Amino acid sequence: MTTAKTARRGPLPVLKRFVHSKHMVTLVWILGIVVIWEIFACIVAATKRTPVNVLPHLYEIIGSFFSDKKVTGKMTMIELIGTACGETLSRAGIGFLAGIAAGYILALLMNLSRVVEKIAFPYLMIIQMIPILGMAPIILSITGDINSARIVIAAILTFYPVSTNVLAGFRSVEKEKHELMYSYAANKFQLYTKTLIPACIPYFFTGLKISAPMAITASILVDTLQGGNGLGCMLSQSLKGGMTRLVFWDIVLISAVIGILSFVLMGLIERLLCPYKRNKSGN
Amino acid sequence: MKAERKRFLLAGVAAIMACMQFTACSGGTSSTGSTASVSSAGSTSAAEESSSAAEESSAAESTGAMSHEDIIKSAAAEGTIGNWGLGNEYEIQALLTKYGLPTDYITMDFTMDQFDSDSVKLASAMTYNELGLVKNDYDGGYGYGDSVSIIDMNDEGVAMLEDNLFTSKAFAEANPNTVKAFVSASMKGWAYACEHPDEAAEIVFEAGSSVSAEHQAYMASEVAKLVTTDMNGNTVSAADVGNMDEAAMQQTLDLAKQYIILEDSTAKDKLASLTLDDIRSTDYLTYDPETDGAPEKTSVSVQLKWLPQAQFMGYYVAQAKGYYDEVGLTVDIISGGGDISETTAVYNGTVDFGVTWVSNLINANAGGMDLLEVAQVYQRSGLVLVYKNSNYGG
Amino acid sequence: MKTKKWLGILSSAGLPLLFGVVIFVLWQTQVLHSWLGTDTITLPLPTRIGEIISQNRDSIGSQVQMTLIVALGGLAAGSILGYLIAVVASIFRKWGAGGLTIVSAFNAIPIVALAPVINNWTRDVSTDVSVRSTLAKIIVVTISCTAAMSVNAFRGLTELKPFSEDLMTSYAAPKIVVFTKLRLPNSLPYVFTALRVSVPASVIGALVTEYFAEDTVGVGRQIRENIVKGQYPTAWAYIATACAIGIGMYIVLMLVERMVLKRRKA
Repeated sequence: MTTAKTARRGPLPVLKRFVHSKHMVTLVWILGIVVIWEIFACIVAATKRTPVNVLPHLYEIIGSFFSDKKVTGKMTMIELIGTACGETLSRAGIGFLAGIAAGYILALLMNLSRVVEKIAFPYLMIIQMIPILGMAPIILSITGDINSARIVIAAILTFYPVSTNVLAGFRSVEKEKHELMYSYAANKFQLYTKTLIPACIPYFFTGLKISAPMAITASILVDTLQGGNGLGCMLSQSLKGGMTRLVFWDIVLISAVIGILSFVLMGLIERLLCPYKRNKSGN
Repeated sequence: MKAERKRFLLAGVAAIMACMQFTACSGGTSSTGSTASVSSAGSTSAAEESSSAAEESSAAESTGAMSHEDIIKSAAAEGTIGNWGLGNEYEIQALLTKYGLPTDYITMDFTMDQFDSDSVKLASAMTYNELGLVKNDYDGGYGYGDSVSIIDMNDEGVAMLEDNLFTSKAFAEANPNTVKAFVSASMKGWAYACEHPDEAAEIVFEAGSSVSAEHQAYMASEVAKLVTTDMNGNTVSAADVGNMDEAAMQQTLDLAKQYIILEDSTAKDKLASLTLDDIRSTDYLTYDPETDGAPEKTSVSVQLKWLPQAQFMGYYVAQAKGYYDEVGLTVDIISGGGDISETTAVYNGTVDFGVTWVSNLINANAGGMDLLEVAQVYQRSGLVLVYKNSNYGG
Repeated sequence: MKTKKWLGILSSAGLPLLFGVVIFVLWQTQVLHSWLGTDTITLPLPTRIGEIISQNRDSIGSQVQMTLIVALGGLAAGSILGYLIAVVASIFRKWGAGGLTIVSAFNAIPIVALAPVINNWTRDVSTDVSVRSTLAKIIVVTISCTAAMSVNAFRGLTELKPFSEDLMTSYAAPKIVVFTKLRLPNSLPYVFTALRVSVPASVIGALVTEYFAEDTVGVGRQIRENIVKGQYPTAWAYIATACAIGIGMYIVLMLVERMVLKRRKA
């Protein structure tokens, strides 16, 4: 809202628009974090014997990413992380989609039937509570393959926010709207397609915005269950020595960037799907 | 930015409150049977108990370098002895018991950062891995050079056997020739690797290991020592690689029975009743295709205990030199280092063979798995405690 | 009216309980094992798990205490922090929204990566391993609880009912009144939505940080120790304990939610 207004008023519309745009806001935030990071990195560099393990300078991390020095037998940093990213992200993506589908269907079922909700809801929560380490061997013995087990676990870890948020969205529809639909003699299907499903979209996206980064962290976590080439495997290998610690920092940074991107991506999809919200919410 | 600062402030306040609560309740929960509570809740009382021992030894401190016994006692009194736990702690606990100390330790996180920052002053290290990182200054190293010294578990008489080769009893009974063929080809690989550690390091590096070439070479030379020297320092010939030394196995089992603490009474009884015959078999060490016949299963997998590195060079060498092909096997080497341990993976049939420490195998069998050691690769313990000389009057 | 209410409570407690009993029977009779294709070592029988729990009540109790401190400490800190961030963001709407993205980004750093970093940063806090380790664990849980709260609370504080804000403006209500009378109450249900996510997250977060902590205590640490060592029955005793912690915290949350939201309606 403000963006549009100030841009029209200003003498140098293009510059003004940029200065007042959301990108500028994000840029300033990122700069702020960079400054704080560097201040601490300088302190660490001055006081610690091996600063790279505690907090390296950002330029060291980014520099290492583009350096052509081989970090493993065959790969440079960018190749190593690229491969690892590809593996982990594809698993995260599949797990995420499966998690969304499962979460949405569950929410629908729970809204359709009180009995299903009463039975399922406590157990949804309990499933979230079972530590992956306990589930993993069982899931592994079902799938027989660690990579499919990783996808299943990623899905299990991501569907809960979608479920709860969508259910909250269904519940948010006011009674009057229900009654209005009934007065139109709408059937249950129409009630869902015309009222409930559109109403829950913002909630659905709240769920997605939480679970998209979660799918990525979950995938990185389940990478550490066994060896392989995923981001999590490389991260723990870097910690366990031999490989430079900068691999660890690169992965930390990259996972954060991917997390933001996944969050932003969900926001973009939300704006594409419900353009009427575009002017309402700032983010 | 504001949010950032606030977060730390808040977390700090919460933590301080939590810590106050923590100290308040830890007094009541000091002595329980579990491994976990010993190291933290018991640490205050442990420090008090052994502080007198540290005082006695303070006389030695003024005269320069301290004896190993004094160093261990002093570190125990300070609560700065580190180990990784997760089944790697038994030798350290046996050592502490030997000197009449409580068996507490700080958990190390598989880096040597705690050692570097002095939060752990007497740190567990494998001669072929962490010790190399501490001493050398290549990628991932800490560059301490000769300013650190070690306490060797073999010299202290508390050594337990480590890397072996195992499978499940069911698999061994169903596929005896496969097991024999795999063991003999692997041991051939090990024998070659120990004679040519540099070449072996190269092979592992080429196989796509994440460990730097320099560290790989260091590791290969150190691992070769563990394979070709026994606990008493005697040389083991290349032909005997993989043999199970009766006395060393027995010592490992005895220590394991003493220091594996189980909360499950069924497993506890099982552990107490275990004999060497329950955990190992020497039947699979030799393979003669003529008399034994061809392998029943020709495509097998082996899960390593840790990351792909020269610690497991024998398997990589056997692979690269075609020793597995010679006996008609296709082998898939799967790296470990995750929380689904090699014992679990072999037990549930995800893989056919595994490399683990003997104590881990004993632990798993006590828990109800039926695993069988078919070769013992490392003939002595590779575990040491490393300390900075400067911390102990050196 | 009263009987209807009781029926409601009975069905919301009875149905899941009934389902639980069915699962329990399937589990105990090993039907579940054949469905899942697993065995009684990987998934021990409930009676075996119960036996281990009852034999080790004291030591399990002390582990639970440690985990609760971390989970609750982190949950409280993270939720308060998250809410404050949302408040700040709702006041400085333009800058705040960008800030929220950044906060969510922190959530994108996996705990496996966060734990070693925080361990290194808190190393100088104390020479007592239990103090610095507890602090490190609480910080990690705090970070993992912040985003859910800030995103939800921000929505609650900003997505008001149509015209309600205009109405307040027409009353010439100062910003602070708009905040306390309109935004704050409007955000309450959203706060509980957030808590429904972050209560389980705090328990899981506490368990996972314990895997990597310096101090060998806590339910999570015991789960990892026993899984890695192949002691599945004992591990499951701790897994059951972890679930109980989570469920207990969740029930408390539901009770609080019911109380708070009911009072608001009345």
